[in-house]
Amino acid sequence: MTDKSNSTEPAKTQTYILFGVAGTSYAVLSRQVQHMEMVEQVTPVPNAPPFVEGVVFSRGQIVPVINLRARFGFERARLNQRTRLLVVQHGTRSIGLLADEAREFLTIADTSIQPPGDAIGNLSGNYLDGVATLGERIVLILNIREVVESTPIAAA
Amino acid sequence: MVRAALGNLTDVGFIEASSGLQAIETLAIHPVRMVVLDLNMPDMHGLDVLRFLRSHSQYRDLPVMVLTTRGDEASREEVFEAGASSYLTKPFSPSFLVSSVRQLLDPQPDRQTP
Amino acid sequence: MTERDPRFESSFMDDYFAEADEHLLAVRRCLLALDGVRAADVSSAVLEELFRSCHSLKGISAMVELREAELLAHHMESGLRAIRQGEVAPDAANLETLLAGANALEAVIVARRQGQVPPSEEATIAALRRLAISPAGTGTPVTATAPLDGPRGWRATFVPSAALVARGIKVDTIRARLLEVGKILSVTPNVQANGGIAFEFDIQTEDEAALAALSPDGVFYAPAGEPAAPVTAEAPASIDEPSSGPRAREVASAAPGNFVRVDLGRLDDLMRVAGDLVVTRSRLEDTLRRVERHVPAREFRLLQEHDSLMERQLRDLRDGIMRVRLVPVGEVFRRMPFVVRDLARDSGKRVQLEIAGQSTEIDKFLIERMMDPILHLVRNAVGHGIETVERRVAAGKPPDGTIRLSASTVGESVIIEIADDGAGIDLEAIAQRAPAKDMRTEDGALDARVLLDIICASGFSTRDEADRISGRGVGMDVVRGTVDELGGTLDVDTERGRGTTFTITLPLTLAVIDAIIAHVGDQTFAVPQSAIHEVIEVDPGGLRALERNELLTYRGRALPMVRLSRLFRINTTTRPRLHAIVVGTGLSAVGLLVDRVAGHREIVVKSIGDPLIHVEGVSGATELGDGRLVLILDVAALSRNVRERPRSGERASA
Repeated sequence: MTDKSNSTEPAKTQTYILFGVAGTSYAVLSRQVQHMEMVEQVTPVPNAPPFVEGVVFSRGQIVPVINLRARFGFERARLNQRTRLLVVQHGTRSIGLLADEAREFLTIADTSIQPPGDAIGNLSGNYLDGVATLGERIVLILNIREVVESTPIAAA
Repeated sequence: MVRAALGNLTDVGFIEASSGLQAIETLAIHPVRMVVLDLNMPDMHGLDVLRFLRSHSQYRDLPVMVLTTRGDEASREEVFEAGASSYLTKPFSPSFLVSSVRQLLDPQPDRQTP
Repeated sequence: MTERDPRFESSFMDDYFAEADEHLLAVRRCLLALDGVRAADVSSAVLEELFRSCHSLKGISAMVELREAELLAHHMESGLRAIRQGEVAPDAANLETLLAGANALEAVIVARRQGQVPPSEEATIAALRRLAISPAGTGTPVTATAPLDGPRGWRATFVPSAALVARGIKVDTIRARLLEVGKILSVTPNVQANGGIAFEFDIQTEDEAALAALSPDGVFYAPAGEPAAPVTAEAPASIDEPSSGPRAREVASAAPGNFVRVDLGRLDDLMRVAGDLVVTRSRLEDTLRRVERHVPAREFRLLQEHDSLMERQLRDLRDGIMRVRLVPVGEVFRRMPFVVRDLARDSGKRVQLEIAGQSTEIDKFLIERMMDPILHLVRNAVGHGIETVERRVAAGKPPDGTIRLSASTVGESVIIEIADDGAGIDLEAIAQRAPAKDMRTEDGALDARVLLDIICASGFSTRDEADRISGRGVGMDVVRGTVDELGGTLDVDTERGRGTTFTITLPLTLAVIDAIIAHVGDQTFAVPQSAIHEVIEVDPGGLRALERNELLTYRGRALPMVRLSRLFRINTTTRPRLHAIVVGTGLSAVGLLVDRVAGHREIVVKSIGDPLIHVEGVSGATELGDGRLVLILDVAALSRNVRERPRSGERASA
């Protein structure tokens, strides 16, 4: 992530993809997202970590799927027409993030983003890069590495 | 320099060749028990000499020690791939060269590992 | 700790790019100036500038650690040096090579500038190397030019001999003389049929008399393009050979034309397409079945025939592509003699290495992965298998130990064996290290799988422990891990005092296999056909529970069962009948208990690489024709799971 503390530099903005998990808006940098697709079914992988929903076949590749609801400590929900799979890039890996719905593309100025701090109550606070305040809206910026790599704080 | 270092081996005679072609010629005429091969030669690259040797049955088992300067692009793997028995990077101490040559010529049970 | 200042870095790179541009410009300008100029008329000033520019490019590329550029510049420099020194002609073809070098340099630098991975320029580098050093190697000349034509081109053959050397005539002497007479285009060493060596010089000269004058010094010559024949009758015995030299060389140069260098990535792409075709055809077959009742019988039969034909053709295509990737195992085996020799000397042992089956072909990917494991096993055989000369002699064995490395194809598998006639594995010592395991079966025979489990467990033994117990050393976990990953099996047989044999069985082809489809609860799995011995129907009531295992009486023995629903924590309903997929044979037979086996099909194996989904018991995944993603079971791991079940209530390892 770029250093954004220097206020004398011109306002830098980046494009994000917004999506919803359990009613809250989250965002990831759009350049980290390889593609997005609807998903009907995920093949479970036995004895995988609890937040790993399983695997899907996407664009010729086997992609592991992380259930963000489970990851953030929410109850799992059934997959429906609005469920979206965001396939993101993490280093050389492609990982699928399961979200309740996809919202929009949005450009957010770096200056609108604050570090996460303790204000975030639920578990997802551990996976954040920052919190964006856009007028009335609050959007939580996800840190993909934390989502993918860190071991869960609480056992699901 | 190599000659100076090897001159200390009293029980070993050596023949010097000043180019890759001459090295091949020498091998054809004088049977030798091992070859110390410098990769940086004026006419042929040492690895090509080595590959030439290894591709022919009579030289396949001949111990060949390769000398190379640090920074020479022939990687260690390439050197062994070409069939080297051993590999030394310049600069090296003359005594080291001598002991390494000894290894290839006749093994001693209690030698130190290079 | 000083961090790299990114601003400093980037201005540094800017300087590099600017300077590189200048030099590249100079290089192009020079090459342009040389274009179309006859080799004899090439300006040495231009050559000099070219040389300097390449030299500079090499230097600055080294400073910014742009290795690819450094390498290219270096080889261009070498080539130019050779041209400057008159060893190589600046003819059209060689200039072409230099131009390719300049293009490659530019491509690499541009890529770096744009933050991309520099393209691989191996071919250009190889061409530049051939340019710089007189074509050499196995006697195949690689001069870019066509054979010399015209009365000015000659081929002079020099056959060295002890007599000549005694007179002070060596190959370099001859070369110097030839240089005085004309221009040497190339020198090639050749091994003659009788084992002697001849050097072939491609030379341009008007002074034929000078060439003739060299004949007492062992030089025969002929116009280029004709086989050399001795000019005078005087002859050491090796004179007969030169005529075979050029002809042999021509044959050799014909052969390279029949081969094509293939980028492995392209082959992988082809394989992927072939694999996709397999799946698509499978889907087509499914669709056909669904529309059967809507189609007139005769048309339907035709459709089926076409489908069958396509299946066969696709199989051939797939096999054909696989075969392109096959390389002889000898590629890996070739290195072993050196390894063995070094190790033997290190440890004061005497070891003979026998190699068999070097021409056995194996997929390039497999052999690359297997290089380290095979190296490990060979090293261990020398280090821990073969005894010292004293011990061998004391035991009545020949002082030289023998290690046999062999490869063969059996059906759809490649079998690689590493066998030694050493001391065998000290089972007692190993048993002491792992008392909970029982390496003996009921009838006292060695249970190889348990032994392997022990010695392949990571962290099993450090080097000095391995020395003490004459077991195998570090790295066995990697060996087995790699073999498993490639879908193969590792086996061992050892006898105290007689020796040890490791056997690696690998599938010949990697990507498409026959598999049995099985259902467990609402999930579906695929089991590779090659691992399956039999599928049997099981009455759940007939299963005996013994400690933590379930056993079935099967062919007179107790067959341990792996209940997949339990292992994978899948909810299932109670069923009156289950299926068991029997894998392994004899003592290592295990039954995989599933709800229902649903038939068999060909599947394209896709690997599950990501650590998140790396679970024991699953080795990959495949897409069934209907779009379902199905996991492929790792039979070896599942069988191990059974053996590792502890006795008497210890903690379960599953």
